[in-house]
Amino acid sequence: MTRADFMTKLRRGLVGMPAAAIEDIAADYDTHFADAQAAGRTEQEVADALGNPGRLARELRAEAGMKKWEEQKNPSAAAAAVFAVLGLGAIDIIVLLPILMGVVGALFGFFIAVIVGIVAGGIVFAAGPFANPPGGPATAILGGIGIMAISTSAGAVLTLVTVGLVNALVWYARLHYRLLKPAIDPQG
Amino acid sequence: MENVTEAIEIQLKKGVLALCVLALLSRADSYAYEIASRLAKDIDMGEGTIYPLMRRMQADGLVETYLVESPSGPPRKYYRLTDAGRGSFTQQKSEWAAFTRAVDDILGAAA
Repeated sequence: MTRADFMTKLRRGLVGMPAAAIEDIAADYDTHFADAQAAGRTEQEVADALGNPGRLARELRAEAGMKKWEEQKNPSAAAAAVFAVLGLGAIDIIVLLPILMGVVGALFGFFIAVIVGIVAGGIVFAAGPFANPPGGPATAILGGIGIMAISTSAGAVLTLVTVGLVNALVWYARLHYRLLKPAIDPQG
Repeated sequence: MENVTEAIEIQLKKGVLALCVLALLSRADSYAYEIASRLAKDIDMGEGTIYPLMRRMQADGLVETYLVESPSGPPRKYYRLTDAGRGSFTQQKSEWAAFTRAVDDILGAAA
């Protein structure tokens, strides 16, 4: 592979990252080629030693995605981290996908249930006292508050579980990157 | 079996890679090509892998960069340790020493 080939593939792999980050990374590898050539090595040798540019790009993207998740725990960062990790191919996607779909589906279902619970509690709280409930209006008001409180704490627990799951995935991916193996296999 | 050995080797090297970079930078500021070729030669690491690692260490605040004018070509990006990086190096170094001592003892006892 020539220097130009390597740089093209690297840039293609980095598409989607902030432009400044891509320039920064590309400049690093460009300098590497220049330094190596100054040391008397051929483009071919250097490209081989650097490894598969597609995989390097995936690792750089995954690292950026995981870093973002560590800094800001929000749904979009979580999604970015999960996709970055999957893109890494460190985890066998065929095995993981059904499990992941199941987990995401279940979490989504629970979150909907929590929202429904909060809304239902609100209705009982606001409308209940006017419907002549058994035990009088106070029961409906307190019951409504109770339902909302339970739903809110369930939501909090659910959020903690989700954060924990994404953290576990990131931890697993970091453990299993194959960063070190000189990437000489053509399409790893 | 070969795969297991290879997996262990990869995990081992990955664990110490950041430590090696910290150690090199604790002696003198350096640039990526110099660090990469040193580590590639000594611990058989893929040269390209230094860049993801340096970005991560920079994001974690262990190293910082500065530019030095170069007589030939564009200015060169040098890395130096931050205070946090020096602290991390001291800590990891003593952990490493304790760990290798313990492993050596076990290996020596088994021989």
